[in-house]
Amino acid sequence: MALVQTTGPSARAVSEVVRLDGHVLDSLVLVKVLDTIVDAGASYKILELDVGTTNRDESHVRIEVSCPDEAALGALLERVQVHGVNREGQEEAHLVPVDQDGVLPDDFYSTTNLPTWVRLSGHWVEVGQPEMDCAVVVDLDGTTARTLPMHRARRGDRVVVGMHGVRVAPPRRSAGPGEFAFMTSEVSSEKPKGLTVERVAATLRRARLHDVGGQSRGILAVCGPAVVHTGAAPALAALVREGWVQALFAGNGFATHDIEAAVLGTSLGVPLSGAEPSEHGHANHLRVINTVRRFGSIANAVDAGWLRRGVLYECVRAGVPFVLGGSVRDDGPLPDVISDTAAAADAMREHLGGIGVALMLASTLHAIATGNLLPATVETFCVDINQAVVTKLADRGSHQALGIVTDVGLFVGDLADLLCGPDWRAQVTRGP
Amino acid sequence: MCEPTFFTVTYEINPYMHIEIRPDPSAARQEWGHLVSTLQQTGATVDFLAPVKGVPDLVFTANAGLVQGRRFVPSRFRHPQRRAETPVDVAWFRDHGFLIEQLAGDEPFEGAGDALPFGRPTVIVAGYRYRSSISAHRALGTLLGLPVRSLELVDERYYHLDLAFCPLDDRRAMVAGQALDRYGCRVIEALVPEPIWLEDDEAADFSANSVVVGGVAVMPACTPRLGKVLEKAGYEVVVAPVGEFVKAGGGCRCLTLALDVP
Ligand SMILES: NC(=O)c1ccc[n+]([C@@H]2O[C@H](COP(=O)([O-])OP(=O)(O)OC[C@H]3O[C@@H](n4cnc5c(N)ncnc54)[C@H](O)[C@@H]3O)[C@@H](O)[C@H]2O)c1
Repeated sequence: MALVQTTGPSARAVSEVVRLDGHVLDSLVLVKVLDTIVDAGASYKILELDVGTTNRDESHVRIEVSCPDEAALGALLERVQVHGVNREGQEEAHLVPVDQDGVLPDDFYSTTNLPTWVRLSGHWVEVGQPEMDCAVVVDLDGTTARTLPMHRARRGDRVVVGMHGVRVAPPRRSAGPGEFAFMTSEVSSEKPKGLTVERVAATLRRARLHDVGGQSRGILAVCGPAVVHTGAAPALAALVREGWVQALFAGNGFATHDIEAAVLGTSLGVPLSGAEPSEHGHANHLRVINTVRRFGSIANAVDAGWLRRGVLYECVRAGVPFVLGGSVRDDGPLPDVISDTAAAADAMREHLGGIGVALMLASTLHAIATGNLLPATVETFCVDINQAVVTKLADRGSHQALGIVTDVGLFVGDLADLLCGPDWRAQVTRGP
Repeated sequence: MCEPTFFTVTYEINPYMHIEIRPDPSAARQEWGHLVSTLQQTGATVDFLAPVKGVPDLVFTANAGLVQGRRFVPSRFRHPQRRAETPVDVAWFRDHGFLIEQLAGDEPFEGAGDALPFGRPTVIVAGYRYRSSISAHRALGTLLGLPVRSLELVDERYYHLDLAFCPLDDRRAMVAGQALDRYGCRVIEALVPEPIWLEDDEAADFSANSVVVGGVAVMPACTPRLGKVLEKAGYEVVVAPVGEFVKAGGGCRCLTLALDVP
């Protein structure tokens, strides 16, 4: 007797989980569906049966249907669809047109920052530009979808309402080989700082070295004024110069102090060299703002040869885009600051395209604003001296964020040491 | 009820409609007038919906929606040809003090044509496949807070449930088993203590599409056999022929919508 290899239906059966909800027991609809499955030569397994307690309650059934092949399964599921049997999660997304500019339909689907798909004409369509707390808008021919911030809604935009036909990817646990285990929403204060900085440096190297699907991912730096106060501006400037930053977000404070430090060697009038504050130093930053306003923009100040070092100088030189978002406490502000906050957020969105890693450096305001815009797939590091701030920034549920409680000056300096080599310190002392 | 001023057949959305076989307007007018007076003689009060040009099937008010007390759940027609009726129906019910309640979702639902309350305690008997969808039944059950028995209509000649199921009282109903499969027939047997099953010709003559007012059944047609059965059950039978409307796929009950549904 010879051995025969089985290639029968059981070996290659395909199956799918379907749902049936409603008053399906007394209506004998469930019996009919199960009979139809068996008559078609398929088999089923009831995974869940919730019959409710009174005859007014709906029943809910989850059934796994197995067929010898894909085509037979498709035909069978199509046949039982009329009885209310739906493939799990295969309902179409419901769309409602916007009836007033800047106002979404009441029941709009509010996004997470996770990769999301919506079901349109029987296909799962990935939602572009994932961002949390937005709506999802579908184009006119119903083939593409993207997130839509509330203020950008225009009359007639077709927006997804309710939860039907929306699928969200589960949060990614690990982004690939070498990813470190404490990547998910962890605040690291006890861990040896040196090791932490090394791991951040490794992540930045991987982002630049095309390791994810052969594509390099951009690095975003979000900066608060403490970067300058702590003397870390030259280190960050070196990182920009050496190509470790592809976009920079900050506010009037960081930009002003960066320029003040570059031009006058002080931060809020305090000499960064450690010398005694000069008498009228407290107005230094106002004079700096005033001069840049006369130039018309930071780039003009660089072109004119007035601004010759610092983080923003390096950005202008390297063509790294920066967005300066305004706030009500701003002096001046600098001409580059976008005071309309909704417009500032829109400008930030413009630069998130290729970003794979975000460094949040000592700014509660801009870090939160940026965190709200980032897809969960962007690896985020939050560096702040205040444990509570770091916890708040890192704890964004689905987001891959690592909080690092440390002094931003030390951190950025160490990072530059690891990524730029010891030469950057020499360049600082030499100056331009 | 709605006067058949603009009633005609300009599209084909059921096996009865043929655009080359137009109903005769004056005959239709006469049949309809006779039905109105017959109903009034049984003691019914008839309210009227003003006809609208270009909306021919507005005469079939049974499909306007579902009435429960002072609530009105408008239909969501499967065929675009009939969707112009809904705003007209909704306006009438709003003007007459009904609370308009939209059915959740977007699945088709064709009102009292496919959803009929039966028995004590009340159960909604509902038909699906050709017009209403079973998902709409589910939404209806949730909205009304009532159990629903969903019956699949398996013969397109009975494309609405009201062509196959006619409640008489809490215990009795005329049923065209021809329109149902064995599951549907079993559901009826479990639900209706004394079903009156129709013969093939009776079902085909729309006998189940009758209007029952108290002890009187106003029927589009009735065989002597069925007449005897109904009489034995305590019902007086009055035949009001509506042959012109049958050309569009409707009988007596399709031309009416009960407003006194508890
Ligand atoms: N003169 C001005 O116009 C001016 C000055 C300052 C700030 N601003 C603006 O105000 C807004 C908010 O300012 P912000 O970002 O400074 O305030 P913020 O409170 O949002 O953030 C400052 C963060 O830095 C952290 N921090 C302080 N010292 C640190 C250190 N040594 N190491 C690590 N973290 C440290 C703090 O814990 C805090 O979380 C911004 O838009 C900013 O541009 C304007």
